[in-house]
Amino acid sequence: MDLRMLHHRLTVASAVAAVIGLVAFAVLRDRPASPEAPAPAARSVPVRPAGSGSVGPPRCDTTGGTLVAAIRGEPERFNPLVGAPDNTLDLLSHLLHGRLVRIDRETGELEPWLAERWTRSADGLSWTLALRRGVMFADGQPFTSADVLFTAELLYHPSANSALATAMTIGGRPLRFSAPDPHTVVVTFPAPYGPGLRLLDSLAILPRHRLAAALAAGRIRDVWTLASPHELVGLGPFVLARYEPGRRLILERNPRYWRVDAHGRRLPCLDRVVLEILGDANVEMLRLESGDLDLTWYEARPEDLARLRRLAAAGRLRLVDAGVGLDPNMLWFNLAPGAHAGDPRREWLLDTEFRRGLSHAVDRRAMVDSVFLGAGVPVGGVETPGNREWFRPGPVRFDYDLDRARERFAAAGLIDRDGDGRLEDRHGTPVRFSIITQRGHTIRERSVAFLQEQFRRVGVQVDIVGLDFGALVQRFAARRYDSIYFGLERTTTEPAANLDFWLTSGSFHVWNPSQPQPATAWERRIDELMLRLAASADPAERRRLYGEAQELLEEHVPVLTFVAPRIYLPVSTRVGGLRVSNLRPYVLWNADLLWLRRPGDTTP
Amino acid sequence: MIRFLARRLVGAAVLVVVASSGALLLAHLAPGDYVAGLGPGADPARLARERAALGLDRPFAEQYVRWLGRAVQLDLGVSFRYQRPVRDLVVERTAQTALLGAAALVLASCVGVPLGVFTGSRRGGLLRSAVRALSGVLVSLPPLVSALIVTVLAARTGWLPPLGAAAEAGSPLGHIRLLAWQLALPAVALALPLAAALERLQSQALAAALDEPSMTALRARGLPRRRVLWHAVRLSLASVIGIYGLLAGSVFSGSFAVELVTRWPGLGQLMVEAVAARDMYLVAGCAAMGSLVLAAAILAADVALYVVDPRVRPA
Repeated sequence: MDLRMLHHRLTVASAVAAVIGLVAFAVLRDRPASPEAPAPAARSVPVRPAGSGSVGPPRCDTTGGTLVAAIRGEPERFNPLVGAPDNTLDLLSHLLHGRLVRIDRETGELEPWLAERWTRSADGLSWTLALRRGVMFADGQPFTSADVLFTAELLYHPSANSALATAMTIGGRPLRFSAPDPHTVVVTFPAPYGPGLRLLDSLAILPRHRLAAALAAGRIRDVWTLASPHELVGLGPFVLARYEPGRRLILERNPRYWRVDAHGRRLPCLDRVVLEILGDANVEMLRLESGDLDLTWYEARPEDLARLRRLAAAGRLRLVDAGVGLDPNMLWFNLAPGAHAGDPRREWLLDTEFRRGLSHAVDRRAMVDSVFLGAGVPVGGVETPGNREWFRPGPVRFDYDLDRARERFAAAGLIDRDGDGRLEDRHGTPVRFSIITQRGHTIRERSVAFLQEQFRRVGVQVDIVGLDFGALVQRFAARRYDSIYFGLERTTTEPAANLDFWLTSGSFHVWNPSQPQPATAWERRIDELMLRLAASADPAERRRLYGEAQELLEEHVPVLTFVAPRIYLPVSTRVGGLRVSNLRPYVLWNADLLWLRRPGDTTP
Repeated sequence: MIRFLARRLVGAAVLVVVASSGALLLAHLAPGDYVAGLGPGADPARLARERAALGLDRPFAEQYVRWLGRAVQLDLGVSFRYQRPVRDLVVERTAQTALLGAAALVLASCVGVPLGVFTGSRRGGLLRSAVRALSGVLVSLPPLVSALIVTVLAARTGWLPPLGAAAEAGSPLGHIRLLAWQLALPAVALALPLAAALERLQSQALAAALDEPSMTALRARGLPRRRVLWHAVRLSLASVIGIYGLLAGSVFSGSFAVELVTRWPGLGQLMVEAVAARDMYLVAGCAAMGSLVLAAAILAADVALYVVDPRVRPA
């Protein structure tokens, strides 16, 4: 090698090393905190237990400013009562619209909202609500009982094809709304309904003067679309000022919002809320770190917690503990009649002992550590400690015990017949099945990989099939699967709002949906219990009924649950007035009382 | 020239029809449809009504013929997801992608071509070697990786504005400044590998041009080095310009990855969202626009070459 060649190679190597070093330095060093960001000691905001009482009159420590929050994607339309719900539309419903009553998502209590008081009839079926007077829509038109009647008409109208309509029926029959005068509404339930007016928390009241003509003309799907955001008018704390497709929605304070603080000043505290359409947890993290985002959409992922804790310790953000999540991911098997017809594995795929054995095979504490990196709690049922009112404390029924797992499998005729460490059934068919999960959902993917390894240790082989959401739904709807690992996202803690899951006739009775008749005696019993739960107004009786239903479910294990995640929310240090919930929207459900610390204010 | 243009235009039209029809068919064949994506466990009767309202309960052949009949009148249907005309959506987003691509190309040209002249004008030298080495690294970076690197750098250092930076703009000048501010990160991410490619290309083309007999003759006639270099650069530009057509293609495809990472609301991001949602008319519309832009870019490059290089014109 001559000197010129050596010199050339050294120069190239030095240049490459310099570039790599520069990039590494820039990436690895932490940026100093922005001089404008106050640096109070990081602390968690504890979640108050449900029923702990009033939180005091509303107040704004400061007024003005712009809060920047991330959302996952654009809504499909701006009318919350048309078509299917989505998370963004649900959030916008909280920010742009009002409802007759509101569930305080921190305490779980029902609050007067657009209805300031109510009475119940002797038979318990009718509620008479007195509406607040002097309330106006954002365009200055008065809010009256006619708007409530119109909203109900729209909700149940066939052209709206509203997903909410299904939830707002009792025994398949709609609620009846009537209005004896402009400031009174009577809501009549077709049958006894235990949660009562809590059902109305999800019903956004819409302006009759803006939508009635479109509904009458059969064009309700053509208004309040993404092409016509300027038509929106509501009773919420904010109005939609601007929509930038693909980028953001800009909401400004509603100058006619009805709610006032303890000093009589009209809420909200904020001037503006900007909803940035980011759609990716990594992008959210980067924006949060750079100080350009106040609230993320996604809760902190386990792999980000270490970094977030360091940033919180350095005073660059707050990491708020919102408690245990309500929705553990579930593994369920296809137990529909006719499932696995002609499949030699059918006998054990439908066998309860097989599922019990699988539950015994999973070390839930190890799953908390390895998949959730400590940010979770082991569970064995569909309720989690996050649902304080309805969760039954106690050990997991079929908890980790490999010997018991093998016993269960043996009882199902599954043993290692040829000494290769893998189980076979009575006919020599290997015990092997597939689990479908959502591709791109890292927690679910990691969880299924963990389960695959756990099951392998007891001789059960698993094939993981990652599908995108649409394909997964199609396989579920077509009943073409062995098992699915997926999760629900509830919007309420009330079990009677989840009858689609519990009842055999429910379309989300995941293991065997939409049954014309209950296929098993235990499912028939659960049907009875849940229908009585829905009708009962006695809290103790309801808890007893739900407890028995949960016990039956855990005994027969049509679904297996393993871990409920803990929800940590990274929040900018400048956001005050936080009251967090473990239900979405975690923070913005109370957006009218959020305020921003001024630069230099270090008050916790 | 006219016959040349006419042939190219017909080819472009065929490309657009085939690409969009293929995309529509693939979106239809993919598992699940737009309504299924509304969620598992939804009421089947409501889903059926939703499918009927969107026309998804019709046979695909009927849907395709209806779509094609509207498409020839430049009506690409309505997006299920956004409830807006597909044409309006793709035009809006293509403008964003074109802006990003143009900014990246300009940036890459301003950086890459002069650097290529610098490195190609002479062999040896520490600085020239360093530039060549850096180009070698950057040219091998896919746009996705360069976007990730630039994004993380921007967030950790503050050297560039953050992703989709929001700010209020008052005056028209403020709007332009705001746009430039928001465009900086994605344009740099897309321009880096392009600049490196242009530097390499320009450098090699210039080195080859300097070795041409014509340049030797100029030197023999006593022309100053600078004048010889000027003529060599002009000669080398023909090769570089000719590649802009292909570069436009890679800019366009590269912009998809950059848009996803930097959240730039362009055609690439729209297409990914459309595919994920099984919004089939929007998928077809994005494919049509993408192929149209590609065909137009290649045509423009060919015409530019025709103008710049007299050797390719017919006698």
